[in-house]
Amino acid sequence: MKKLLSAPVLFAAAGILLVVGVVLAFWYSPIDASSMGFSQKIFYYHVPIAAAALVAYGVAFVAAILYLRSQDLKWDRLGYVSVRIGLLFSILVMATGMIWGKASWGVWWAWEPRLTTYLLACFLYAAYWVLRSVVDEEQRRATYAAVFAIIAFIDVPITYFATRLMPSGLHPVLSGLAGSMAVSFGICMLGMLTLMTALIKRDYEIELIKDRVTDLKTSLGG
Amino acid sequence: MSGWTQFKAILRKDLIRELRTRDMLVSMILFVLLAMIIFHYAFTVKEGADLTYFTGGMLWVTFIFAMLLGLNRSFAQEKDEHCLDGLLLCPVDRVTIFFAKTVGNLVFLLIIQAVAVPVFALFFVQRSFLGDLLPFLAVLLLADIGICSLGTLLATISMNTRSRDLLLPILLLPLLVPLLIAATGATTLVFAEGIGFGSVVARLLVLLGFDAIFLVAAWGTYDFAIGE
Repeated sequence: MKKLLSAPVLFAAAGILLVVGVVLAFWYSPIDASSMGFSQKIFYYHVPIAAAALVAYGVAFVAAILYLRSQDLKWDRLGYVSVRIGLLFSILVMATGMIWGKASWGVWWAWEPRLTTYLLACFLYAAYWVLRSVVDEEQRRATYAAVFAIIAFIDVPITYFATRLMPSGLHPVLSGLAGSMAVSFGICMLGMLTLMTALIKRDYEIELIKDRVTDLKTSLGG
Repeated sequence: MSGWTQFKAILRKDLIRELRTRDMLVSMILFVLLAMIIFHYAFTVKEGADLTYFTGGMLWVTFIFAMLLGLNRSFAQEKDEHCLDGLLLCPVDRVTIFFAKTVGNLVFLLIIQAVAVPVFALFFVQRSFLGDLLPFLAVLLLADIGICSLGTLLATISMNTRSRDLLLPILLLPLLVPLLIAATGATTLVFAEGIGFGSVVARLLVLLGFDAIFLVAAWGTYDFAIGE
């Protein structure tokens, strides 16, 4: 089971699922009947990327709580890599969102609640990164990062609600998908979440190896 | 010593220290008034331009930046003069320190606003909003609580880092965006249209939710933020 969930296996599974997903999205699912037309195809990637970003931030949030409870640095490492992957996916959400926005609304950027929330999430988690870089002591850095990761994760949904106070009705709302569309979407979603898990797992293992190397160097007096 | 007595003692200490020197308050008030003059020239694009719909934004941007100055300064003093070390050596609950510091910062912000808001109204608001004073005060108080609670938590963290002053705005500003959206919208509505509580109730609820959630979050994490 452990081997089945290793990073290389997860990467391979994600690759297969995402390739199958794109083939199904373009050749099996019909062209959207609404005004979105062909540009709706990006939705099969845009929405799963957005979901993966949120899940990665969720992992960072849980890891932060676990770190504060146990003071075990492995949770700090998990939180750190999750934020890094979440940030990567958030940038992808905005990139795909902007492409979709240009095709659907005719503009590259609109101050639309969901897009704005991801933009602010990028700033929040970039701040997390900056915070880590300006604290020298290991345990203190981990504690501060954990506190900020908890606060930042709570702030994201509040930001979404607050941005909805501003006038904007551009973003299409997902409401029930036709059979073939749902299958393609489900496979893309599964693929993207698997890719996110593989990336977090690989980076987490690298961080643990780095820690072991540091410990070995210290024990050898280096 | 009960928690309430400790709270009052820390708050009293912070207020007395500031009222004796008045360093922070004077700087913050001057900053706010100067910002208003700059905003006037930045936004007046033609003779007699109506700035009413910019009022909420101008007011809250000014208050946020003034508060950033104040938070940095108050915690720098605590750190540099080892006052916080002394406080941590006392048998005081960390949460009591958090609430005392938050209320102290809230008092300073309210003093600045008591001076700044009438001047601001004189400069920029063309209609009388006395009838809508109550919704405005509700927005002011709720937004201030949110700014001070999160500001106190994050200033405690940033003062123990290498960047200090530089780090606080980077941490605090993105977190305050929802609060700013609600507060600026509500303030502008009060100043520009003045249609009572009904028009700002959704924004007041966002502010109330923000305050409640972050007060609880700060209460739960301050122990870790302030350290040993």
